[in-house]
Amino acid sequence: MRRYDTVLFLLCGLSAILSAGCGETEPPEMDGGDALRILSLTPNVTEMLFAMGLGDSVVGRSTWCRYPPEALALPAVGDTLHINLQQVIALEPTMAFMITGRTGIIRGLEARGIRAVALRSDTLPEMFESIRTIGRETGREEAARRLIERIEADLEAVRRRVAGRPRPRALFAFPMTIGSARIMVAGRGTFVDALLEVAGAENAFPDRAHWPTVTPQKAIAMRPEVIIINATGDSGAPDRIEAIRQAWANWPSIPAVAAGRVHVLTEAYLTIPGPRVGLAAGRLAEAIHPEVKEGRP
Amino acid sequence: MTLHPLSARRYALTVLVWAAVWLAVSVAAVAVGSRPWVWNSWAQALDYLRDTLYGVATASVVGGALALSGLAFQALLRNPLASPYILGVSGGASLGVILSSLFVSVLLQPIFGFFGALVTVGIVYTIAQRRGRLDPYTLILTGVIVNAFYGAAIMLTMGLVSPETRGDIAYWMMGNIRRFDLQWGLAAVVGGLAVGTAVIFAFLAKGFNLVAVGEDTAGALGVRVDRLRHVTFVVASLVTGAAVALVGPIGFVGLICPHLLRVLLGPDHRRLVPACLFFGAAFLVLADLATSVLEGVVSPPPPVGVLTAMAGGPFFIYLLRTRWRKVAKVQ
Repeated sequence: MRRYDTVLFLLCGLSAILSAGCGETEPPEMDGGDALRILSLTPNVTEMLFAMGLGDSVVGRSTWCRYPPEALALPAVGDTLHINLQQVIALEPTMAFMITGRTGIIRGLEARGIRAVALRSDTLPEMFESIRTIGRETGREEAARRLIERIEADLEAVRRRVAGRPRPRALFAFPMTIGSARIMVAGRGTFVDALLEVAGAENAFPDRAHWPTVTPQKAIAMRPEVIIINATGDSGAPDRIEAIRQAWANWPSIPAVAAGRVHVLTEAYLTIPGPRVGLAAGRLAEAIHPEVKEGRP
Repeated sequence: MTLHPLSARRYALTVLVWAAVWLAVSVAAVAVGSRPWVWNSWAQALDYLRDTLYGVATASVVGGALALSGLAFQALLRNPLASPYILGVSGGASLGVILSSLFVSVLLQPIFGFFGALVTVGIVYTIAQRRGRLDPYTLILTGVIVNAFYGAAIMLTMGLVSPETRGDIAYWMMGNIRRFDLQWGLAAVVGGLAVGTAVIFAFLAKGFNLVAVGEDTAGALGVRVDRLRHVTFVVASLVTGAAVALVGPIGFVGLICPHLLRVLLGPDHRRLVPACLFFGAAFLVLADLATSVLEGVVSPPPPVGVLTAMAGGPFFIYLLRTRWRKVAKVQ
């Protein structure tokens, strides 16, 4: 027992020293990115970094980071599941940001002397907190505050555009590549759920859930009035989009199908919780309230 | 084993009884599965009915196809543990279907599935053969290894694609019957193949019976064992590949159904062939109904393939402990 206590005491002390090291003493402000070398392992983090003016300090990205276009010029090192550590070491990053719940990758990077920060972005508040954390870690708190303000203003502008309109029940879903046994939909509480709310709709999926899958039976029972399918990448090809439309046409009792309100949107940014969520909410609003786009009252 | 003459009446009775079992199960599945207690509108009731009818139709054709394949593999390989899933035939078909849908065309899935299945049968059969005889241990182990190889190939494919597609493949590999994009056309093709297989196997059933006694005996009695094998393997691969293209790999149906029927009907393949078609169909309709009913309790419900595998695993062990010893001793 005593030994256990000693270990615990030491650990507490250690973590106190560590948190003091990275919390209270601000990392030196480094403009031009001479010493600050950032590795971003998630698409939305890459977008946040560039939006905060840290693009020049980013030295590496994940395979899935495709925006902004400048990011494509950076070397890709895999993702949080499969990372090429040799390549990471060669890039000599001082700091790494990623959305992950896995401590293994954090420990692995920390063991190589890289300050690794795990962020969360399942919800809008978590996304804002991630921006604040990046600002704190990089000494760009002011840029973080400005970015958050800008995003909030973007969202508010969309809210104003749809204010006072009826709020249809909307289902936001991903298509499936091989066989469409089930589709993955945005549950209540996700950031896409929040964007639907901003865009003037009510999530047709009734329960709090992360990204649940639903069967045709469940989709029929939910009776969504608008269906938004986010078909990105290969699944956004014209023949695939046609197949998605045909799949939904099998279920005419769903109000969205009967009213021709199944929208296949190909924009990848709709599900990236980053600086473009305002843009995403606007795109959703146009699909949910087509009259908004046409400028009708 | 002696072959009693099979009277037309007895044969017709077998077909009728098992057809009636399948029909009864299907009617019950439609009645329960279309959720008549949830009433909103005629349109919605029709949608539920369409979903259920598709589930029953697809489960029927796939269940019949897999049970027949299992029966044929067990007969001709003289191995109670043989089935499309265990031998890696379903795995080969899966790899074919995945490669086709990712890199070639979704429309060619059944054809790639067929070639995946056929190549696998060829590999397993060639490796397991020793001096013209099939070693039961080697056969099953070859199936295990071939399955492991396909598993690795599928994982390699999953590693190359985006995380979303990775999830899709993983999900598809669990075996699903109900779907948003109803594939009535492919279901009809699989149904036609399953019935065609049953007809072809009905003609080959005497040969199956004789091979079960012994290959030498069968040969002495005029059965061209090699040709019988080749025809059967091609037919079984074709129907398995098409079934996998339709619903993904659903395991253990081809293992469980023939064995349960042997317990009920005895070893005569002339009766087992039609019984397998209908019983396999009824079995998978029941499994699909179970997932549909479970949906009321747990959402999302487990995929059908997960249910059959959970039932099939213990059954496999039961067979290993009972029938396997006899076979292994005899050969």
